[in-house]
Amino acid sequence: MLARCYRGKLSVWAALCVLVLCWFYIFPVYRLPRDKDIVEEVLRQGDAWQKNQTGIDLYRKLLTDCCDPRRMFAVTKENSPMGKVLWYDGEFYHSRTVTNDTYPLFVQDNPLQLPLKRCAVVGNSGILRHSQCGHDIDQADFIMRCNLPPLSKEYVEDVGTRSHLVTANPSIIEKRFQNLLWSRKAFVDSMKAYGSSYIYMPAFSMKPGTEPSLRAYYALADASSNLTMLFANPDFLATVGKFWKARGVHARRLSTGLFLVSLALGLCEEVTAYGFWPFSVGLDERPVSHHYYDNILPYKWFHAMPEEFVQLWHLHKSGTLRMRLGHCPPRSGGS
Amino acid sequence: MLRRRIGYSDPSSGKDILSNRSLCFIFICAFGLVTLLQQILCGKNYIKSAQQFSRLKGDETGNWTGPINFSDDGPVRHARNGRKRCFRQNYHPDSQISVIVTPCLADIKKKKKRSQRYLENYHGSFEFNSTACKGFRQDIMDIKVLTMVKTSELFERWRNLHMCRWEQNKEEASNFKMSLSRCCNAPSFLFTTKRNTPAGTKLRYEVDTSGILPITNEVFKMFPDDMPYSKSQYKKCAVIGNGGIIKNSKCGKEIDSADFVFRCNIPPIGDKYSADVGMKTDLVTINPSIITERFQKLEKWRRPFFKVLQNYNSSVVLPAFYNTRNTDVSFRVKYLLDDFDSQRAVFFFHPQYLLNVQRFWAVQGIRAKRLSSGLMLATAALEMCEEVHLYGFWAFPMNPSGIFITHHYYDNVKPRPGFHAMPNELFNFIHMHTRGILHVHTGPCT
Repeated sequence: MLARCYRGKLSVWAALCVLVLCWFYIFPVYRLPRDKDIVEEVLRQGDAWQKNQTGIDLYRKLLTDCCDPRRMFAVTKENSPMGKVLWYDGEFYHSRTVTNDTYPLFVQDNPLQLPLKRCAVVGNSGILRHSQCGHDIDQADFIMRCNLPPLSKEYVEDVGTRSHLVTANPSIIEKRFQNLLWSRKAFVDSMKAYGSSYIYMPAFSMKPGTEPSLRAYYALADASSNLTMLFANPDFLATVGKFWKARGVHARRLSTGLFLVSLALGLCEEVTAYGFWPFSVGLDERPVSHHYYDNILPYKWFHAMPEEFVQLWHLHKSGTLRMRLGHCPPRSGGS
Repeated sequence: MLRRRIGYSDPSSGKDILSNRSLCFIFICAFGLVTLLQQILCGKNYIKSAQQFSRLKGDETGNWTGPINFSDDGPVRHARNGRKRCFRQNYHPDSQISVIVTPCLADIKKKKKRSQRYLENYHGSFEFNSTACKGFRQDIMDIKVLTMVKTSELFERWRNLHMCRWEQNKEEASNFKMSLSRCCNAPSFLFTTKRNTPAGTKLRYEVDTSGILPITNEVFKMFPDDMPYSKSQYKKCAVIGNGGIIKNSKCGKEIDSADFVFRCNIPPIGDKYSADVGMKTDLVTINPSIITERFQKLEKWRRPFFKVLQNYNSSVVLPAFYNTRNTDVSFRVKYLLDDFDSQRAVFFFHPQYLLNVQRFWAVQGIRAKRLSSGLMLATAALEMCEEVHLYGFWAFPMNPSGIFITHHYYDNVKPRPGFHAMPNELFNFIHMHTRGILHVHTGPCT
C-alpha cells in the first residue's frame, strides 16, 4: 500500500525537482553582486569615462549581424508584406498573419534619418529625480523614452522636454486609458506632450496587447495627430532577447529600456543612457523611488533589471556607451 | 441530507451521466430540426419576395397594371375567393418569365367606378367634411383588422381617401394625446435624464429583463439635465420613415418647412435624396446594430462614423437600454462625440418609456417582437407636437397604385422577418390618419 503510494507520487516529485532546477537556472539568485557592492563599484568609477570607438563599432556590428535594427526594428510594409506571419515573441505559440486590416497601418519603410549622431535613452528610474539632467538630455539629437513617461512641468528640469521615440506598453493603454474603448480624448491629449515623435508599441508581442495597440493607432489617426505609430517587430525583439540571453540576462522578457539601448547601439554613433537604476537605494544611500514619477513596483519575476544593469555597466566601463547616474554637471559646465 | 438520500435512491449513477448525455443529444437534434424547419419556411418566403422584386430591377414597374383585366363581377365572388391567392404569369418579351405571387390585384374593382370618377381631380380636392369624404373615411374605418380585406382593397380605399383634404380632428387628436400622456408621458420620460434617473438607480433593460444596469456616476454624467422638449412645443412635426415610398415624391421642401424633423436609423440625406427627403433633421435615431455592423462597434476607427453624423445637424438618440449588447456601443457614441468636441446632444431612450409605448400599442392591436423606430418616434412626436406628419411610412412591396417600390429609399435590403410588424403599424397609422390624428403622406407632394 505504502509502496504503491510512493511510486504513484514519484513522477510528481521528479517533475517538481526538474521545475525547481529550471527555476534556479532561469533566475539564478546567487550570481548577482549585492546592491551595496554595485553602489560602491559605481561610486569608485565616478564620472570618469573614456569613449571607446572600437567597442562602439564592435557592438554595432554584433547587433547588425544578429538583429539588423536598421531594417527590422519596426514592422514596415517592406519587411512585413501582405500574408507574412508574425510570430509573437512573448507568447509560446501564437501568430498573426498580416492581412488587409493590419497592413495599411504599417509605415512604408524605416522612417528614421540614419545615421543618428548622439542618442539619449532615458529610463524612468527614480534616480532621475533632482538630477538636473533635463538640459543634458535635450542636447541629444535623438531622444528615446520608455513607456509614455510624464513630461510635465515639474519634471522638465530632470528629464527634459524633447523626445523622438517613445515606447508605449499595451498594458498602459489598458490600465490608464480603459483600453481606449470609451473616451479617447485623454489618451490623445496626453500624447500631445510628445510632439511629433514616433510611438513605438510592441503590438505583436503578447496576445492581449495587439488590440489595444491597434486601437491606439486608430485613436491617433482619428484625431489626425502628428505622431507616427511604429509597431515593434516581434522578430527583432526575439533576436535582441536572444542576444542578451547569451550575455547573461536571464529573464522572461527584456525590459523596454534594454531594447531601446540595443536599438540605439545599433543605430547611433554615441549613446548616453539616463535613468537606468533598478535599485531601491541611491548613490548617496538614500532611498530612491522606483520611477521618477511614482513608486509602483513591477511584477517581481518578469524583468531581471539588476542583471540588465550589470550588463549596461560593463558597456559603460568599456566605453561603448555612457551611463549617467546621479547629478548631471551644471549647465554652464556642460554646454 | 436530503440530497444524499436522493443520491442513494438513484440505482446507477454511471447510467445517469449517460442518460444526461443522450438527453443533451436529443435536445440538440430537436434544436437542429426546428432550425431546419424555420430555414425552409422563411427561406420560401424570402424566395417569394425576391420574385416580387425581381420585376423592379427590370424597370418595368410601369407596366404592372397592364396585363390585368378588370372583370366586373360582384362582391359575392369577391367574398368567395377572399382568402385565395392569385398565381398569374406575366409574359414579357424582353425579360424572363416571372411568376408573381401576390394578393390578386385583379380584385380591385369593387369601387372601380367611383374611383375612376374621381381620379381626374386627385389629391385633396374634396373638403374634409363633404359627404363623399365621410363615406371614404367610413370605408377605411370599416376595416377593423388588416387581415379582413385584401391589400389591394385597402389600397383602393386609401387612394380614395386621398381625394379628400386632410384636416386635423381637434377632439380626436387631443383625446389621443391625453391617453398617450397618461401611459407614456414623453415630455418627461422619453429619454433618460438626470431628473428621471437619479444616480444609483438600477435601470432595467427593455428585453433582457434579468439584466439590470446600475446607474453609476460615470453613466449618470452622460445624461442630460432634463428633457429638452416639452408638451406640444412644436407646431408642425415631420417624422420621416425610410420607406421606398418617399422616393420621387419631391417632398423635400415640405419636410424642410416643418418645425421639427425626426429621422430613423441615420438614413443618407445627400444631394441625391434631398429633393425627396429634405435636409432638415432635429432628432435622428441610431440603431446600435448599424454601429456594430458598419463601424465595428466603434472599437476601431471612429472618424468615419463621426463624418456620417456630421451630415445631420441634429441630436442623436439611441436605444441604449434595449438590451445589454446595445449599452456599450451607445455609450461609445456619446464618448466619441465628446472626444471630437461636438456640441450635439446624445440621448438614450428610457427603457420604461419604450415598454409603456409597446404596451400602449399592444392594446391597439400592434403586437410584434419590437416596435419600429418610426412608430416610437411618431408616438413621441404626437406628444411633443401639435400636428404630426408622417413621410415615407409604408409597409407593402408596392405603393398604393400597385407599383413596386424598394424597401428603403436608399437601398433594398430587407429586414429580418418576424421582427417588426410593419403592416400592422402602417394600418394603424392609416386609421389614425382617417380619424384626423396625424397625417400620413404617401403620394407625391405638390
